[in-house]
This record gives sequence, C-alpha cells and structure tokens, in this order.
Amino acid sequence: MTDPRVDRLAGLLVDYSLALREGQVVRIDGLEASAPLALALYEAALRAGAQPYTNIGLSGLGETLLQHGSDEQLAYLSPIQWEEIERLDALVTIWSEVNTRALSRVDPGRHAAYIAAQRRLSNRRWERISNGEMSWCGTLFPTNAHAQEAEMSLTEYEDFVFAACHVHEDDPASHWRAVSTQLQARASELGAVQGLRVVGPDTDLRLGVDGRTWLAADGRYNMPDGEVFTSPIETETEGEIRYTFPAVYQGREVEDIRLRFEEGRVVNAAAARGNDYLQSLLDMDAGARVVGEVAFGLNYEIDRFTRNILFDEKIGGTMHLALGSGFTQAGGRNTSGLHWDMICDLRREGEVYADGALIWKEGRFLAEPAFEVVESGVRG
Amino acid sequence: MERLAGVLVEYSTRVGKGDLVCIDTGPAAAPLVHAIWGRVLAAGGHPHLRIDLDGAPELLLREGSDAQLDWVSPVRRAEVERADVRIAIEADVNTRGNTGVAPERQVRAERAREPLRRLHFQRASAGELRAVVTLYPTNAAAQDAAMSLGEYEDFVYHAGLLDRDDPIAEWTALGRAYARLADRLGERREIRVLGDGTDLTLGVAGRTWVPCDGRENFPDGEVFTGPVETQVEGTMRFTYPASYSGRRVSGVELEFRDGEVVRARADQGETFLQEMLALDEGARRAGEFSFGLNDAIAEFTGHTLFDEKIGGTVHLALGASYPESGGKVQSALHWDLVCDLRNGSEVYADGELVYRDGRFLDGLL
Repeated sequence: MTDPRVDRLAGLLVDYSLALREGQVVRIDGLEASAPLALALYEAALRAGAQPYTNIGLSGLGETLLQHGSDEQLAYLSPIQWEEIERLDALVTIWSEVNTRALSRVDPGRHAAYIAAQRRLSNRRWERISNGEMSWCGTLFPTNAHAQEAEMSLTEYEDFVFAACHVHEDDPASHWRAVSTQLQARASELGAVQGLRVVGPDTDLRLGVDGRTWLAADGRYNMPDGEVFTSPIETETEGEIRYTFPAVYQGREVEDIRLRFEEGRVVNAAAARGNDYLQSLLDMDAGARVVGEVAFGLNYEIDRFTRNILFDEKIGGTMHLALGSGFTQAGGRNTSGLHWDMICDLRREGEVYADGALIWKEGRFLAEPAFEVVESGVRG
Repeated sequence: MERLAGVLVEYSTRVGKGDLVCIDTGPAAAPLVHAIWGRVLAAGGHPHLRIDLDGAPELLLREGSDAQLDWVSPVRRAEVERADVRIAIEADVNTRGNTGVAPERQVRAERAREPLRRLHFQRASAGELRAVVTLYPTNAAAQDAAMSLGEYEDFVYHAGLLDRDDPIAEWTALGRAYARLADRLGERREIRVLGDGTDLTLGVAGRTWVPCDGRENFPDGEVFTGPVETQVEGTMRFTYPASYSGRRVSGVELEFRDGEVVRARADQGETFLQEMLALDEGARRAGEFSFGLNDAIAEFTGHTLFDEKIGGTVHLALGASYPESGGKVQSALHWDLVCDLRNGSEVYADGELVYRDGRFLDGLL
C-alpha cells in the first residue's frame, strides 16, 4: 500500500508546483528507487488531464558510462534527447539515489567532460524554463542512501522529508500558497534594502543589495522549498564569514570554511579540511571568488543538516551565500562555472541588519513582512 | 545473462560504432540491462534507455481519458524514427495487470499506437532499424509457465541455446537450415494443415517465407510467411491459450472463408476475442502463418515469444502482416495463436505430404 504522504506529494507537485493543465506533456524523471512517487505522479498527472510519461533510469549505468565510455560516448547527446527537450511542457526530477557516493572514484576529468556535455542540454532546458515555455520541479524520494547521509533511519528520514514538504498533513497546497504569500511579501520588503550586515560567530559581513530583486522560492521549482534570495552587488561584499556546516561540491566536503572579502572578492580563504579543494575551486575562473547569491533559509520544518543541498539551503534560521554564478532574474551579473552554496547557521547567535536596523535575530525575522502582492521570479 | 547480452548485441542487432541503441524494458530487467549497456558501450554504440514503470500502462488504460488513450508520446515517435537498434526486453512483474480493463479502451490505445508500429516494421524491413525482442525471466512469467523462477530461467536460457558452448555458432547454423526450408516452401502455392479439429488451406503463391534465426526475436526458431489475403479456407483449433495485452483466451476455434474469419469461438475469453476481431478490417485476416522449429522449446509456457516457436507447432496471427513476407494485411492487431501438430497431424504442400507429427519429412529441414 502506498504511503498516503507519497500521494499527497504527487498531488502537490502536479497541482501546485507545476500547475499542470489539460493536454500538457510532462515527463517524470527518476531512478528505479523512486518508482512509488513516479507512479503516484503519473496517476496525478493523468487525473489533471495531462499527457505524462516516465523516464526511469537505472542506478549504476552512469558509472559504467563514466568508467568505460569513449570520449565520444561521454560527450554524446542523442537526437531523441534534443527533440524531447523541445516538446516538454513540464518536467519533474525525482532524486532518489541508492548510493550517494557511487561516483566517488570516477576520474574527475571524465566526469567533468560528461557534465559539460549534459550542460548543453540543461542550458536549453533552463532557457525554455526562463522563457516560461516549460515548468520544472525537483524533489526527492527518500531512500536508505539519503537517510544514511543524513545519519537517520529510513523511517526517520521519511518523516523528515515529508514534513519538510508539508505533506504529513492534508491539503499541503494551502500551506504552500500561504508560504508563497509570506515569502513574496518578505522578498518585496527586502527589495527596498540597500545594504545587509550579517553578524555571527567569527562572522561580520556586509553585502550591497541596492536595486537587486529578491525572489521567493515557494515550492514551484523545488519541493521542499522555503527561501528568499538575491544576487548581491558584485563589488560590495566586505568582511568575514565562517561556515558552520560542511560545504559540499560535487560530492566532496569541505569543513569549517572561513572567507574574507574585499571589494566583492574573496581575498583570503581557509578550511579545516579540504583546503586544497577549496583553493582549486576558488581559482576555477574569475567569477568563482564573487558571491552570486545570498539567501535566507526559512523552512522551519527543516531543522538539521542532512548533507543534501535541496534541504540544507532551506534550513529555517540559516543564511547561505553561493560563490560563483549569479541569477540574472535577480539582477545578478556574475558569471562562473561555479555555483557553490555554503550554509551559515545563525540560529544560536546570529544577527542581520538592514541599512543599520536589526531585522533578524537568532534565526528569525523580528517582524512579519508587510503584505503586498508581487510577482515572483524564476530560480536558476 | 552475459551470454544473452552478448548474443543480443553482437549477433542479433550487430551494434556498431555510433549506433543509437534504444533499450526498451521494465525495471525488473535491470541486471540484463546492465550487461547490455556494457556491451553496447564496448561496441562503440550509444545506449538510450526507455524504462516503463510497472503499473503505469495499466493506470493509463484504467484511468486515462480518450484524449490520453489516443496520445502517442512524441518521444516514442522520435525513438522509432531515430534509433539504429532497438532491444526490447519483456520483464513483466504481473502478466495479468490489464485483466480488469475494459477491452474497448485497450482497443482504442492499440489503434492510436498503430502508426508507430507500422513505422517500426517499415524501418525494420528497409534495413534501417535492427530490432530484437527478448524476455528477461521474472516470477510473473515463471508463474504463467507453472515453474519456479529457477526452473524458468533454465527453460529460457536453454531455449536460447545459451547453455551451449558457442550460442552464436549454433544460431548461425540453424539460420542456414531455416533459410533452406524457406527456399523450398517458397516454391509452393498452397499449404493444407490437417489435425484434431483442424483442416485449413492457405494460399501462399508468390509469398516469401522468412527464416527467423534470432535476429528479431530471441530465442527464435520459425519460418513464416503472409498468406494470400483472400485464400485462407477452413477451420483451425488452437491448442494453447493465447494471451494478448495481458488477457488470456483459451480453446479458440476459427473458421475462415475467402481469407476472413467468419466464425470464432473460445472456451474462455470469447468476448475479448470478438472485440479484438472487430478492432479493424485487418483483424479478421491471417497476417502470418508459421512453422515453429525450436526443439529446445518443448512445452507450452503461456508466453507467445516461446510458445510460437515450440518445435512441432504452427501458428497463425490475426492482424498485421510483416511486409518482408509479402503479406498485405494492415491492422493494429497482431495476435499469434498456436496449434500443436505433434500428435497425428499432417501438412500438405501442393497436395504432397511434407510434414507429419510435428516434423518435416526428410530433406526439407
């Protein structure tokens, strides 16, 4: 028997996140471990009158390609894939690994070549998403592998995931509509701010956000969701920040990162573990030392670090800054091959000032946002 | 398993550098897909995976609107149009999932997908697409065969001659023997089958008999043609139950006149049989007539891929012909029905006895 939370999650994605309409072509991507959710999505999409089909991968095949494929095979994109991307009205990605470390020993150069080829396809996909030609939502179906990363049992992890999506209760769409209204009001209010100052343990950082657009991540592009974010002014980040949670990039962890910024750029960086990796990523390109995103994590159902960015960047009471590419929809101009989210826990002793006024203390905004209907943007 | 993957990639579909290889199956076949995936990469091909989720087709048939039943995914079309190779692996986890579906809904979905099937056969006949269908043993298929999974795996691998030292050499030799038989049969104008409850005459003049040596089905072992559309006369009683789209019909008897079914009955599933016969104009005609020649398959196991190749049987398909046989029947249906000729049956070719008790007489095979 299906977990009713799985059916609710499927309904939420179809009705709220993607808002599927009759006749729309929707593809459901996942690995075989995601079958219960993929099937529930298929059924929910049928009921919405859409034309769903599933695209189920098998875990392990990617490793074989990365290990044994020729350069030509690694870089290959089939005409079927290209045609498909032009035809979709909607796409759901279900992450559901059976082994989150399966690629640990793959040759990094071959992996990079494969990712670069796939990026040509995903760039086109993002272009269509940004143009409003298709919708996309990424979500996760709990597996033992993800539970293991989070240091939980599968049952505990399921409770965690489904609560974060708010599908442990009836009518999650109402919840997310209310969240959306809140987040959009908050984003609109932050839009009037010129400068932010973040103060915490070993942290005192100033960011310029004047004229930038804050966007609400309200469950349309990710489920779970819950953040407001913008791209800060590229030359105005000043000061120091210390990241309490490990920062993960392409499966590799770097612990206890400290960064010092001058005129927008990282001028000093150190990590307790993984320092070489940190330095090599900072040297990736000119944009890698610049903050591309600053965000407030506002999903308070997510109360702990689980080594999965889908959840970690939304932990209620945290902020995250990403080094690397910014969001053009937010007014960001930084370009880079890097976009590395690093999460700073501000729940115990953090403060945030907006143009000198304290607006956030110990992981909470001090006041409810003033409500105002605004149009929210696209998350890249 | 590795041997099966090897035969499929290197013999059946001869995957080469740059070939786009569509692997079409269900999640249960994962171990075989892994083996094929590795072989395709080693051959320089580009594997493309298409996995149908168990239960999704049933959901569509049960809950889909007419528009949804009629919809054919543009991706499916792209796959049929673009693939150089298609390896389809049946891997049902429940062979009876469609039993509760209204037959007319199934018919509607079949009809919508007919153009794709036609395109598939066209490209295959033209040599643009090398396509093979095989089966990965699951408990569901074992259950239909009334075997344990272990017994069924042995049956499946034995039927494919994969327990021999060099299966590819075995299939190559069989292919030559089948080709000789096909040439001989090609000289004949009329086939008459006589057996228990069966006296059927088929016109085959000018038609091509096609030897099946493991390239389009695996396992394989048959020589078939498309009978002349207006020249099927008489009655055939089919020995084994026949399944189509997850439904089973048994005790089928068909009477043909001028090539068309004029009377049909079944002990079980007759309503479904009648629905299928009414599917379209071609569904009442025999698109294929074939001799099953695989002696490594001796018993009925409830799956067409194997049953139609049982050495000592013939089968007749209602519906679409294969263009390479010269058959002209067009239909959304292609339903193979098998008749066992191993006990006291005879086949005459242009009046000459050529086959008795399930065996061709000396010199033909």
